Amino acid sequence: MSIIQILPFISTAIMLGFTVYVFQRYSLRRAPHFLFWGIGLAMFGLGSFAEAYLALAWSRAVFVIWFLFGAILNPAWIGQGTLYLLVRRPWVHVVSGILVLASLVSSRLMLSIPINDSAFQLGIPISQQYKAIIPPASFGLILIPTIIFGTVGLVLLVGGALYSAFLFWRKRVLPNRVIGNVLIAAGALSVASASELTHLGYGQLLYVGELIAAVLMFIGFLTAARPQPGELTQPVVAAAG
Amino acid sequence: MPDDLHANKRSHMPENSLIFERLVPALLILLGILTLALILFAAGVLLGIIHI
Repeated sequence: MSIIQILPFISTAIMLGFTVYVFQRYSLRRAPHFLFWGIGLAMFGLGSFAEAYLALAWSRAVFVIWFLFGAILNPAWIGQGTLYLLVRRPWVHVVSGILVLASLVSSRLMLSIPINDSAFQLGIPISQQYKAIIPPASFGLILIPTIIFGTVGLVLLVGGALYSAFLFWRKRVLPNRVIGNVLIAAGALSVASASELTHLGYGQLLYVGELIAAVLMFIGFLTAARPQPGELTQPVVAAAG
Repeated sequence: MPDDLHANKRSHMPENSLIFERLVPALLILLGILTLALILFAAGVLLGIIHI
């Protein structure tokens, strides 16, 4: 096993801790943004776990989990959490309904595409050989939701984090949230860039991008959530994304 | 009262900080440009201009 293939094991461990932390927040606050972040981060962690598993053995089910949760769904779910945080309007629930519906359609699509099991080669990162496992015609089909979910997630998560960071920076308050949101944006951009490069044939960069994203986003979240002395808002995170 | 004043000061950005005066705005601009580049790339793929 190469060093690159060890990285998903580390990412999985970090994402597990991150996901548990966010769900603990949700159990305390019952705020929907924690729920969507938690679900999205769990999907991210599942994707990392699938990469780690596929470094050891082949499984069609694990491959489907990797592509569905790791490549398609997770950015939009995390982004939806940020939308809940920044926009307190009833129509956000409608967007959630659309997200759930689109996720179900994408899942159905992913489960229906043919998979060439015999193309899998042990010892090569799955991010470098997935195009050989999914036939070209099916790959073109599944690429559409991958790009759409990824872009929506990018706009909401990174856009929301940069917007929050800019607002706090302009008002010259809550430096922890400025730094935290910049780190979250940088982490999300790390994995988004690595995903795009993977599609262009640089699959070996995906695992590095994911690990950087897991580390930066978790540190960013913890930094933004840290209550500041004299903070006038609620003591728990109110603008981590 | 003095404690409150001290606490409120700590929730504000430190003055004359290189991080907050220079680094943060530069990062916000850089990350914003990178985001736009990724969105344009995704649009290019969806429109069939970029083949992957």
